[in-house]
Amino acid sequence: MRSQLWGLYVREVLRTFRNPFVLLITVVQPFMWLAFFGSGFAQYAKDLASVYGTSNYIEFLLPGVLSTSMLSVGMFGSMSTIQDKRFGFMKRILITPTSKEVIFLSKALGSATRGLIQIPVMIAAAIAFGVSLSLSPAEWCVWILGLLFTAIGFSSLFLAITARSVDWQTPGVVSNFITMPLMFSSAALYPSSGFPTWMKVISAFNPISYTATLGRDLVLHGSVDWVAAGYLAIFASGLLAIGYVVSAKWLKVE
Amino acid sequence: MSAPAAIEVRDLSKRYGSPANGVLALDRVTLSIGSGQVFGLLGPNGAGKTTLIKVLTGISDITSGDARVAGFDVRSESLKVRARIGWVAAEVILDDDFSAWENLWLQAKLQDLKDWEDRARHLLQYFSLLDRKDEKVNRYSTGMRKKLEISLALLHQPSVIFMDEPTIGLDVATRRMLWDIITGIHKEFGVTILLTTHYIEEADALCGQIAIIDKGRIIAQGSPSELKSRIRADIVQLETSDGIALATLRAIPGVQDAWPQGNDWMIRVASSEEFLPRLFRAIPTDHIRRISVEKPSLETVFLDLTGRRLGQDDEPMRDIRKFYAQMRRARS
Repeated sequence: MRSQLWGLYVREVLRTFRNPFVLLITVVQPFMWLAFFGSGFAQYAKDLASVYGTSNYIEFLLPGVLSTSMLSVGMFGSMSTIQDKRFGFMKRILITPTSKEVIFLSKALGSATRGLIQIPVMIAAAIAFGVSLSLSPAEWCVWILGLLFTAIGFSSLFLAITARSVDWQTPGVVSNFITMPLMFSSAALYPSSGFPTWMKVISAFNPISYTATLGRDLVLHGSVDWVAAGYLAIFASGLLAIGYVVSAKWLKVE
Repeated sequence: MSAPAAIEVRDLSKRYGSPANGVLALDRVTLSIGSGQVFGLLGPNGAGKTTLIKVLTGISDITSGDARVAGFDVRSESLKVRARIGWVAAEVILDDDFSAWENLWLQAKLQDLKDWEDRARHLLQYFSLLDRKDEKVNRYSTGMRKKLEISLALLHQPSVIFMDEPTIGLDVATRRMLWDIITGIHKEFGVTILLTTHYIEEADALCGQIAIIDKGRIIAQGSPSELKSRIRADIVQLETSDGIALATLRAIPGVQDAWPQGNDWMIRVASSEEFLPRLFRAIPTDHIRRISVEKPSLETVFLDLTGRRLGQDDEPMRDIRKFYAQMRRARS
């Protein structure tokens, strides 16, 4: 199993790096959030420093944008799976001693890795926008681990939802359906303290909120929110287990 | 003592959909393919050839019946079967972002091979691809891509290779080259090959044993010469300007059977040499527009068994992968 998982995982990662267009879009999209949304709001945030916890809105926004970027990487994993089904590569894989579960794991980990490549670019961009980050190596590790958990969780969710699909459009439709409510009902773009009660309830379960909070506490206060870290670990393990079972049973070959 | 069977299929059925409204793609198929054979599965599109390969390779479930490949049960020992088989698809399936060597590396990982490099080099050398092993395969010609795909199928030294319509859509020269390769690898590596085709001449040229499949059922089986000798008859195809009664044709001595096919009559006769003079006496020669005679061949065997020609009712290519494969070939 390790041999097959390694082979398919490397294939996923190499395919990303060998497609400059995909690589560019993966990196530029969150950067645009930071540049346009961040710059657009920066002026108002100065007057609301007590609400945001900082007068530099981009400092507040950076952990949130990184969180929402992990949400969208799941779509790429699904698209890669559908491409394999449509071009017959899934059959080529399965006419070897490779199980559907291993295919699922390689796709989930591959798209999570794709998500992680956004982190250094975003950090560099944030520094260029005047954000100062003074995290210890251990704090960096906790933050990256939190983002990795988020990416694994959402990749697994996408793969489970699209396990039976062979339609190119499905991952996009699923992404449109879940991205907006999850993003706007989280603490990614603004603090959740001002939410109405029903939104606070959603936000309390929304993993994006926990990822944003984990990163924000580290960036703004230099402290680790272990509850958020634990929640994300449970979220990733739970969805990984669900995706594993769903793929074993329902992953369509062609 | 006869060689053990590489593929053993008994009363195998495959149904897609529900018992009430589904399609019976394989209907109680029974086959025994000896080790080291090149076995051809000949039939028109939609006959069940690809379905049989999907079932034997574990891609599709079995509805009923039993199947063993390389000595292992396809249902209960699927992973063992898949470690001992290779697969060559109708459309070449490679990772185009990878080089030939990287494709072989991935195949080695999928097959969990430890020492694969020497074998891979040997295969690339055998197929004259070694010099270009580090080149991305999207720059390869169709023939080179086919060779690489066969290398992938052979890398783990399988007992059985499944070739699903390996020459479909190829030009004549590439098809001939592939025939030579199939004959060559059979001699060089001694592997059992199950090949599906709807090209008569391909089955005749490559296969020691052939099963003819139609509508999910095996309707005849044997060596090409055995199959041809079974019918002991010539087929005469006749087109006339005026209608002829079936009774008129059947009344001619030597006629074994006659049936309409489109605007023509298909007539099975014991000997065309004896039949033709009798035919010209039975109907006015100026009423005959066209007449052709076919000596026993796999085509006439199929015609005799089904009343149709191979490819007569083939539908246009619908499979999207075949479409993409065609596009790729058109680009290259």
